[in-house]
Amino acid sequence: MNKNPVVIIGAGPAGLAAGYEFINRGIKPVILERSSIVGGISRTESYKDFHFDIGGHRFFSKNDDINKLWQEMLGPDFLQVSRLSRIYYQRKFFNYPLRPANALFNLGPVESFLILISYCRSRLAPQPEENNFEEWVINRFGERLYLTFFKTYTEKVWGIPCKEIRADWAAQRIKGLSLLVAVSNALFGGQQAKSLIEQFYYPKFGPGMMWQRFTDYIVAGGGEVMLNCEVSSVLHDNSKITTVEYRNGTNLKEISAENFISSMPISRLVKLLKPLPPAEILKSAEQLAYRAFIIVVLVIDKAALFPDQWLYVHSPAVQVGRIQNFKNWSRFMVPDQNKTSIGMEYFCNQNDRTWKMADNELVEMAALEMEEMGFSPASQVIDSYVVRQPHAYPVYDSTYKKNLLNIRKYLNNFNNLQTIGRSGMHRYNNMDHSMQTGILAAKNCCGEVHDLWAVNEEKSYLEERRPVKEIPAIPENVLIRAFARMDKFAFAVAFGSVCGLLVFSATIWIISRGGDIQNSHLRLLAQYFIGYAVTVKGAFIAFGYSFFWGFLFGWLFAYLRNLFMAIYIYRIKRKAELLSLKDFFDNF
Amino acid sequence: MVKTEMKDSPTPPEEKLFSGVLLLNAKVVGLALGVIFGLGIFVATNWLVIKGGPRVGPHLILLSQYFIGYKVTFLGSLIGAAYGFALGTICGALMGWIYNKVVAFRQ
Repeated sequence: MNKNPVVIIGAGPAGLAAGYEFINRGIKPVILERSSIVGGISRTESYKDFHFDIGGHRFFSKNDDINKLWQEMLGPDFLQVSRLSRIYYQRKFFNYPLRPANALFNLGPVESFLILISYCRSRLAPQPEENNFEEWVINRFGERLYLTFFKTYTEKVWGIPCKEIRADWAAQRIKGLSLLVAVSNALFGGQQAKSLIEQFYYPKFGPGMMWQRFTDYIVAGGGEVMLNCEVSSVLHDNSKITTVEYRNGTNLKEISAENFISSMPISRLVKLLKPLPPAEILKSAEQLAYRAFIIVVLVIDKAALFPDQWLYVHSPAVQVGRIQNFKNWSRFMVPDQNKTSIGMEYFCNQNDRTWKMADNELVEMAALEMEEMGFSPASQVIDSYVVRQPHAYPVYDSTYKKNLLNIRKYLNNFNNLQTIGRSGMHRYNNMDHSMQTGILAAKNCCGEVHDLWAVNEEKSYLEERRPVKEIPAIPENVLIRAFARMDKFAFAVAFGSVCGLLVFSATIWIISRGGDIQNSHLRLLAQYFIGYAVTVKGAFIAFGYSFFWGFLFGWLFAYLRNLFMAIYIYRIKRKAELLSLKDFFDNF
Repeated sequence: MVKTEMKDSPTPPEEKLFSGVLLLNAKVVGLALGVIFGLGIFVATNWLVIKGGPRVGPHLILLSQYFIGYKVTFLGSLIGAAYGFALGTICGALMGWIYNKVVAFRQ
C-alpha cells in the first residue's frame, strides 16, 4: 500500500480547491468522491442535454483571489447575469427585496395599511420576551408582515413551526446586526455593508462546468479524482488518521496518506471513525441535523414561463419552496430554446414523507402545483427528472453549537485531519467560503498557519452590491467614544459658565475702559436681564442671567444631541436589520 | 499541521455603545469654535464691505469696543478674524475643560 501525501474526501468546491492548491505546490492529491460527478451540492446534473443546478448557485465573492480563480478557470464561459428573483405570493410577484411601491400595489391599500398598523403596534408595544423566531420577527416587522412574508417560507424551509425555531437562531442567521458594525458601515460605507448582489457570474453550462475544469486541472497536474468512491471507514490511532477505507462499486479498498482533508458531513465523518469516538461525541454527531431537499425538474413545452432566475414561493397553498428557471441562469442550460426546464424545490428531511415519495408522485405533485400557480398547465410537462439531495443545509438548532464544539474538540486530537466545506464544517459556507477553506487547509498541510473556522466570519466574507473597496476597520473604542451620550448637566454647566463669563468680562471690559459707560450698547442687555446695568454689580447680575440661560440652552442642546444620536443609531440598526433580511431567504 | 483554538463567539458589544459618557477634547472644541468665530467675523465684515453704502457696518463696528484695532474694512476683517479665533478658542477650550471636570466629578 502506497502512502499518499494527501487524501481529500469529497470533490465539491472545497475539496477541489484544496486539490488545486496542492497541485500548484507540486503535491499530487487523491480525491475520493462518492458521486459519479464532481461538484458536491453545487454540481450540475444533466438529463437529455438539459442541465440543472442543485439549488441555484450564484458565483459572487468578496474574495478577489477566488474571483480571479473562477475567471481563470472559465474565461469566456463565465457569463455575467443580471439577477432577478422575486417572491411569489397570492398569485402575484413581489420584488425581492421588498419595494414599497410594488408591495403596496400587489397587496392593495387596505392590506398595506393593516400591515403598517400592525408594524406600528409591534414597535410601540413589543412582546416583552423573544423566545422564538415568530416573536422575534413580529417584534421587528409586525404580525401581518410576518404572516405574509416570513411564516410560510421559513416553515417550508425548516419543516417546523416558527414558534419552535429559537429566537437566537434568527438573530444569528440574520447577520450584520452588530450595531457597531452597522454604525461603522453607515458612517464609512463599504466593507461591512451587506446587501444583495444585483449581478453575478454563472458558468455557461452550470456550476458543474467550473468543477470539471478544476478536476481537469488536478488530473493534468498528476492528481487523482476518483469518482464513485464512497468512504466507509476512517481508521486512526487516536492521534492520527492512518487509512481511509472506501467502496468503489463492490470493491472495498483502502488508502493511506500523510494528511487527510474531509468535506463529508462532519457528523458522518465522526460515525465512520475506527475505533469509534467516545459515546458523547457520537451523541453530538447524532444531534447535528441537516435539512435535505428534492428537486423535481420539469421540462415544459413552452418558451418562457417567468423572467426570474428563481422564485421564492410563499404561498401556503403549495408545498414547493423555490422554483429555479434554469434557462434564465444561462440559456445554454436548455438544448432547445422553445422549451423551459424548471426545478421545483421541496425542502424536507431525509426519510420523511416527501423524501420517500416515489419519483412519479413527486413529478405529479410538482406539475399540479405549477399549474395551480398559473405558470403552465400540467399537460405541457413533457419530461421530468428528480434529484434528492441529502445534507443540503446544516441546521442551526438550539444545540448545534455545543455539539459542533464537542466534535471539533475531539477531531482536534488528530493532527493530520482537517474538515472543510459546508457539510464538513456544518456551516453555511457559500461556494467561495468552501473553496477558501479548502485552499487554506492545503496551505496548512504545507506548513502555513490558517484558521479555517475564521472563514465566513462576519467581517470578512460578505456579499455586497458595490465594488469591493478596502476600508480600514474602525476600532470599536473609537466608535463607542464617538457615539457616547453627552452628559447634559455637565454640558449645561460648561455652556452656562462660558456664557456667564463672556458677558461678565464684556461688562467689566467696558467699565475698565471708562468713557461714556452709561450709553454703551451693552446696556441694551437690560431689556432681557432685568436689573442689569453696565456696572460691577451689573456684571455679576449679567453673569447670573447668562449662566442661567446658557445652562438651559446647554442642557437642551445636549438633550437634543443625545436624542438625535439615539434616533440615528436606531435608524442604522433598523436599516441593518432590513439589509440583513434581504439576504435572509438567499441563505437557504 | 495547525490546529486552531476554539472559542465561543463573543457577545455583541452593542451595549457598550450606550454605556459610555462623552468626553470632550478641550483643545479640539476650542479650535473648532475658534475657527467658527474667526470665520464668522471675517465673512460678516466682508459682506458689509462688499455691500458698501453711505455708512458701512454701523453696528458691527461696535465690536471695536472689545477688539482693539477692528474696523469694518478688509484689513479689519482679518484683525476681527484673529480676535474671533482667539476668543472662540478660549471659550471652546474652557467649555470643554469645564465639561470634562463636571463629568469626572459626577462619576
